[in-house]
Amino acid sequence: MALDGIIILDHYGRPIIQSGFRSSTTAYSLLHIDAVNNALQKAERSADVDSVIYVPPSNTANGSSACCHVEVGDLRFLCPVSGDVDPLLAFAFLQTFIDILREYLGTVSAATLRDNFDIVYQLFEETLDSGGHPLTTYSNALRDIVIPPSLLNKLLSVTGTNFNSTINSGFGAGAAVGPFSSPLPWRKTGVRYNNNEIYFDIIEQLKAIVNKNGTVVSSHVHGKIEANAKLSGTPDCSLNFTNPQVLDDCALHPCVRLHRWNRDKMLSFVPPDGRFTLMDYTFSSNPLTSPTPTQQSLPSVMSSRSNLAIPFMIKAIVKLEDSGGSFDVTLTSRYSTHALENIVADINLGAGAGGIRCNVSRGSGGGGFINAGGSRNLDTSGASSGASWSFDAQRTVLRWEIPIVSPSSSWSLHGSFSTGTRAPRPSHAIRVRFDISSHTYSALKVGQLKVTNAKENYKPYKGVRGRSSGEVEWRW
Amino acid sequence: MSIKAPRKGENYELSVDLNSEYREKRKDAIKRVIASMTVGKDVSGLFPDVLKNMQTDDLEQKKLVYLYLMNYAKTQPELVILAVNTFVKDSDDPNPLVRALAIRTMGVLRAEKIIDYLCDPLQKCLRDENPYVRKTAALCVAKLYDLKPELVIDNGFLEQLHEMIADSNPMVVANTVAALTDIHIAASSQSSISSNDPALFPISSSILTKLLIALNECSEWGRVAILNALARYVAKDDKESEHICERVVPQFQHVNGSVVLAAVKVIMIHMRGVRREDLIKQLVRKMAPPLVTLLSSPPEVQWVALRNINLLLQKRPDILSNEMRVFFCKYNDPLYVKVEKLDIMVRLAGENNVDALLSELKEYASEVDVDFVRKSIKAIGQTAIKIDAAAERCVHVLLDLIDTRVSYVVQEAVVVMKDIFRKYPSTYEGIIPTLCANLDELDEPEAKASLIWIIGEYANKIDNADELLGIFVDTFTEESYPVQLQTLTAVVKLFLKKPDSSQGIVQRILNTATKDCDSPDVRDRAYIYWRLLSTDPGAAKAVVLAQRPPISIPRTTVAPALLEELLGEVSSLASVYHKPEETFVGKGRVGAESLQRRTDAPDDRFSTQKALQTVAAGQQAENLLDFDDAPAVEGRPSGLAATEVLSHTPAAANLLAGTSSNPLDDLVSIFGAPATPAPPSANSHDIFGGLGVNSAFSSVGTGSLGSPAVQSPSVAVPPLQKNQQPEDDLLGLF
Repeated sequence: MALDGIIILDHYGRPIIQSGFRSSTTAYSLLHIDAVNNALQKAERSADVDSVIYVPPSNTANGSSACCHVEVGDLRFLCPVSGDVDPLLAFAFLQTFIDILREYLGTVSAATLRDNFDIVYQLFEETLDSGGHPLTTYSNALRDIVIPPSLLNKLLSVTGTNFNSTINSGFGAGAAVGPFSSPLPWRKTGVRYNNNEIYFDIIEQLKAIVNKNGTVVSSHVHGKIEANAKLSGTPDCSLNFTNPQVLDDCALHPCVRLHRWNRDKMLSFVPPDGRFTLMDYTFSSNPLTSPTPTQQSLPSVMSSRSNLAIPFMIKAIVKLEDSGGSFDVTLTSRYSTHALENIVADINLGAGAGGIRCNVSRGSGGGGFINAGGSRNLDTSGASSGASWSFDAQRTVLRWEIPIVSPSSSWSLHGSFSTGTRAPRPSHAIRVRFDISSHTYSALKVGQLKVTNAKENYKPYKGVRGRSSGEVEWRW
Repeated sequence: MSIKAPRKGENYELSVDLNSEYREKRKDAIKRVIASMTVGKDVSGLFPDVLKNMQTDDLEQKKLVYLYLMNYAKTQPELVILAVNTFVKDSDDPNPLVRALAIRTMGVLRAEKIIDYLCDPLQKCLRDENPYVRKTAALCVAKLYDLKPELVIDNGFLEQLHEMIADSNPMVVANTVAALTDIHIAASSQSSISSNDPALFPISSSILTKLLIALNECSEWGRVAILNALARYVAKDDKESEHICERVVPQFQHVNGSVVLAAVKVIMIHMRGVRREDLIKQLVRKMAPPLVTLLSSPPEVQWVALRNINLLLQKRPDILSNEMRVFFCKYNDPLYVKVEKLDIMVRLAGENNVDALLSELKEYASEVDVDFVRKSIKAIGQTAIKIDAAAERCVHVLLDLIDTRVSYVVQEAVVVMKDIFRKYPSTYEGIIPTLCANLDELDEPEAKASLIWIIGEYANKIDNADELLGIFVDTFTEESYPVQLQTLTAVVKLFLKKPDSSQGIVQRILNTATKDCDSPDVRDRAYIYWRLLSTDPGAAKAVVLAQRPPISIPRTTVAPALLEELLGEVSSLASVYHKPEETFVGKGRVGAESLQRRTDAPDDRFSTQKALQTVAAGQQAENLLDFDDAPAVEGRPSGLAATEVLSHTPAAANLLAGTSSNPLDDLVSIFGAPATPAPPSANSHDIFGGLGVNSAFSSVGTGSLGSPAVQSPSVAVPPLQKNQQPEDDLLGLF
């Protein structure tokens, strides 16, 4: 009557590990595994399989149910639900569980899961009640009750000494500061650090669609502030921004005091120990604040309804013939101060495409062209250095990769493809992903961060960084 | 112990290690046992050896042994009894983790014999000083109720749980609420339950206060449990509704999407009781941003959010009126997300944003994915029908698309054009030549039938109409039934409009249709036309060329009553399927039979109600067009466009309801006394009985346009649809 459990499948759809399913029959989990595998087999693209699959009952004794599933790397996580449950609850729980696994195991893969059966089982038990209720998912609290596999643990078990167990049993003895005695469910008590420090990462992602005239059809910037707190005792932090008006639709970590935020736009909180996401927000491009430090003259095609500039410009000339086509794509950075990194541009050439011939080259501009000095010209080794292309014949996707596009430089890709007997039908869009370091679209600035601590007096080291990425669909 | 492991092999080695004098070796052996268990090897033979390791200070080792016990408790309950003593002892351990672990494990074991030993420790743990132990114990009560309800009642655990709602620790409160809710659901699924059964968990106003206090303090999962409980509360007056809304609104700012959606649900429910207009406005405005934020999540979460948004928009179209751009599709979105976005975009379309919408839709129509292209073209048609002022622009876009000469694009555009002609008769005749120029490209029955309908309808304005129709008459017997029916009607129309030049062709088709055709529907219709034409050409004209009422797009895809019910289920499977819960998931352990009964009951109720409505209002009959998508049928008025058009009279309802009914019967019923509308046909029930919710995914919700293929192009359907038009014409006579 809720979330019935978790099943983790490997790449081939075979179960690696699953939680107990103690309140249902043995066949129950098998039914769900089959349902998902069948659906995946039927679909052309695995991404097109509905994310909630209806699972009919196996016999008269139990009702039907549904299976929520997500793909993570090579693995697929299944969460069967029965009764009228919010599927979003299942997805939220799966995501939380995956995050926990990452924290415990580093990478989540079939191999790491197999190596840590015991840990994963313990996590199943602690995070999901057999009655279907999620339990403890704050990693601070979890780390108290499920010991993460550490190098120390491994070493000890290899040498066969008994220290490990004494560490564990230390819980019993020191029950005074025992688990869950903390008044704050997200923070454990008695945290000690020699060097107190707290870091914030402001991470923003731009999602935009640009039409063939270069006009931004829709653009959204979602940001989040990730924090890593290593502070002793019970620190009380208050963080304010110099330009909080750029923040919109804020979703806050439960540790943030809501009324302070709503009243003063001040983030006042006692942080969990370690990494956490302090807040999610949307960047509202308020016309009063100049959002992007872009170069002076934006092309006039920038529409008035969105004043967020896409950091680059694409000119695509595609000629289609009866059985193929040629293309000439030029990408020019519009930024004069920041380099675009890890650019990946995907073009779907449509069914039957093949026989790709391509040439990538670096165009004019960049480097010392405008006001950037030679030192900014990160790419000095000539024409097409670094840039490359590849073609995934199965998905018919042509991928163009450029490790770094220095400010104001331009790059081009030209080539041709053939489609044999049928007419070419490429997707009329180029999907470009990129990163920009030390930059945020919103130019959100932290004003002041105060850390107060009733019992101890320390001056923590504080740091704030910005980082951006983007995913732009550029149509032609 | 009678079970002896063999003296060799893996299990033997494990058994030796489990009995080793070194702790680490033993612990390692336990881990290996668990690993073997995971890959499906039978390690039950090691039970006594593993059990020996249960007494330990090492918490991790204890957990692993417990895990082993839980796994084999189901198959070998008699062995688990051996562990009871340790469990009871552990529930008194100084370490709260051990206490909680013991009580939790005992609750999970589900072995009769253990249960009897559970009550005393449980009693103690419910009063434990440590909140972790208390909350674990609270959930354990729900499990005990599942196995032996009388034990829970006899031991006064229920009363204790009710006291725990006032616990100082919010986590305990949340878990207590969850436990009480579980018990409530289990109890209310029993048939013989009185309204004052102690197991029921009605939310009183004093409980409400406690819940509202705990809401802001507990974990996201706890909040979801509390919010679900709040949704069940019936507010005393509008003041209380307002109070609840105001207290719940801050939950919109939670990072966890399921909390947001649960909060939306509570607000939607309690907003019904709010009288203050300004507050309602404020609530609606605050609801938009968190919903939009959900759309930046991974596709599977997006999809759930979109389904819910679709539902919310039907009730409150104003929520996202300025946010259409958020729903623009990316070409790498999964298809199920795109389809849902498309539907919402059309729903949000208005005169102010229709240009942006159309240029998007045109973009989508050039995509790679054929299904999506078709749906986009359908959406253009829906927009044209929804917004009169934009119809011309839509037609231009469709013409541009026809110019591409991509076969499926052209065919879909032709189908959509037919709908536009229905809505705006005699407005866009100028484009008929363009459509006819593509005649050779058409190979899908629906597209052919649509074009034939257009030719027949405008026969007097098309000079070479007889030539064009002649092509289809020549190949008449090779065509599919819908095309045959449509050709038949079109030729008759042509004859009525241009009797001089088409005498030959009508004679030919009536001959072929009555003699060489193996479909009774086609034959019957041909006979009717023949008789009509030979007895009274005037009557034939009135019947066949009757004025048809314009079509429109319904604002909702689910009936208002159902909508209310579904809004109460926002953030649940029901809202995703757009169907009430009983129809797809059995509650608790209810047998399939009773599930079946419940499935049918509301259906009948709706159908009856429906049929009555049909007679009374003379409109909105059983939705014929839904037949292609079983779940959408359900005997509810889904008010799709064409249905409203087609079913003006009870006889039409009758006709539409019975898919296989003989047109002649209907004719009889028309001439006879006022026909009693047939209860929506058995067909719909059959389809519904074999309902696959899967198909509901793609089907429900997409406001369709009088073309059944909106959801899934299926060849089986068009006959029904094409059927309607001439019949409708017939009815016009009376």
